[in-house]
Amino acid sequence: MQGRKPLSIQRQRGMREIDWTQYMALPALLLFATFFVYPLIRGIGMSLTDWDGMGEATFVGFANFTRFFQDARAMGDIRTTLIFAAGSAILLNLVGLLYALLMEKPFHGRSLTRVIIYLPAIISPLIMGYIWYFLLQPGRGYLYHALEQLGAPFTLGNWMKDYPTTMLVLILVNVWQYAGMTMIIYLAGLQNISADLREAAMIDGAGTWQRFTGVTIPLLMPAIRINVVTNIIGSLSVFDVIMSLTEGGPGYATESLSIYIMRMCYGSRTGYSTAVAMILFAIILLPVLISMRLTREKA
Amino acid sequence: MNRPSVPFRVFRALTLLLICLMCVIPFYVLLVLSLNAPSRVFYEGNIFVPTFAFTNYVDAWGKSRIGTAMINSAVITFGTLGLTILLGGMAGYSIARRNTRLNRGIFGLLIACMMIPGIINTVPLYTLMRQMNAVNTLWGMVLVCATLCLPSAVFIYTTFVRSLPRELDEAAVVDGCTGFKAFWRIIFPVLKPATASFVILNGFGVWNNYAQAVFFLQSREKQNIPQALSVFFQQFGGGKWHLMSATAVIAIVPVIVIFLAFQRQFIEGLTEGAVKG
Repeated sequence: MQGRKPLSIQRQRGMREIDWTQYMALPALLLFATFFVYPLIRGIGMSLTDWDGMGEATFVGFANFTRFFQDARAMGDIRTTLIFAAGSAILLNLVGLLYALLMEKPFHGRSLTRVIIYLPAIISPLIMGYIWYFLLQPGRGYLYHALEQLGAPFTLGNWMKDYPTTMLVLILVNVWQYAGMTMIIYLAGLQNISADLREAAMIDGAGTWQRFTGVTIPLLMPAIRINVVTNIIGSLSVFDVIMSLTEGGPGYATESLSIYIMRMCYGSRTGYSTAVAMILFAIILLPVLISMRLTREKA
Repeated sequence: MNRPSVPFRVFRALTLLLICLMCVIPFYVLLVLSLNAPSRVFYEGNIFVPTFAFTNYVDAWGKSRIGTAMINSAVITFGTLGLTILLGGMAGYSIARRNTRLNRGIFGLLIACMMIPGIINTVPLYTLMRQMNAVNTLWGMVLVCATLCLPSAVFIYTTFVRSLPRELDEAAVVDGCTGFKAFWRIIFPVLKPATASFVILNGFGVWNNYAQAVFFLQSREKQNIPQALSVFFQQFGGGKWHLMSATAVIAIVPVIVIFLAFQRQFIEGLTEGAVKG
């Protein structure tokens, strides 16, 4: 490095040299291209082969895809994934919005309440699933004993025996964990709506419900959009909470597509598992694009 | 501001109390279970009070490898955040200031891929990682996690730099700095608020990562916290709740402490992120 030069010379030098700042996004691109885009493209190719992860791969066309749609376990996994996602996305948004409406106006202990409601969302969903397993394991769980000691005001029964109740428990645990996250985003959205607008609507004679559907909801669209899109992506790729709470069981009843992909990969059905990943990709993309279109802000 | 009516306030207080209890009770139960003596099988006596068997924690620490797992998780989390902050900050600055076709393309690509969860390309990525001898290495996991966080980082930094005045860049030139040096010395320190919101939005996710750890951290020495817990859990076939709970408590205490220490910045960061996104 040379010593300091007069400013004018430095400026001139800077002009003759290439301006490196325009290439400063390249390292990020390199990382992303290597570990995201390249595997994604390679996955498309792999999904058309019968590769087992070790030996030679043979091109099999769309055989993996047709096999997927003929497989009863895979069809069950699609059903489980869709039910879980629909239930989670709907309930999370309803509960989160309800919490946000309750929390909207200031009161004593508001920030403490917010912290407590948000708390479950920072914990690993895998650990959260284990905690709920300790609480809810049929017959043995802590809640069964607690209810007994309290004089059994109601019983929980064996919820794991039936598919609908097992799905309900999985959805409720997920909603319990992430309602706080949805709430925070709705609270931010509510704070962004000016009080003037709602007051103006009130002076115009609009009732509480009319103000809610006519003013609050349309202006809340950006928050609704963030919540719906992230909830759909998150719950359609659900993995952790099912692994710890039911391990996809009983049998494969509550297995999600993500877990199926992992198990097929471990089972040396590499080509097939990438085909399933492509199918899951399509399943995620469709509702995301639809909900983004539906919640688009009207100018 | 008009005060809500009295019935609403009573209803609100009761409902929120119930909600808060619902949020806290599972953690209390976990604590009780972690302090129950192993012999207390079906909870004789008052179920709501543990038998204060603190030896569970010593036992759990010795048997579960949670100590190694915590160090691994810390290395992965700090490595991931550090790498993503550096690459994301550079990219965000460049994209916000140089409107070239290349930068527009990079930004578009990253934003479009934000909607693709990691599981979609994990299997081909696993093949690539095996070829690179990166499976069961912490640096490999850092690269995987950094890639998954990168779109969010670039988005946050780009939005932030766009809100900064151009005079800042010129100040760097006047100072005699060019290119990367100007960025590192002048711009990067100014990006702190964006860095904070990025860490808030992604830090716990990396710390808690399980879906990728299942593939890339299988060896006992390299597993992170969720992976160590699931291995521990399967080892007992779902039994030994006192050890499982004690391990889980050890695993979540650091997370809760950090969250409570930074809760104000945390909630504010989330709120701001939501408004801008």
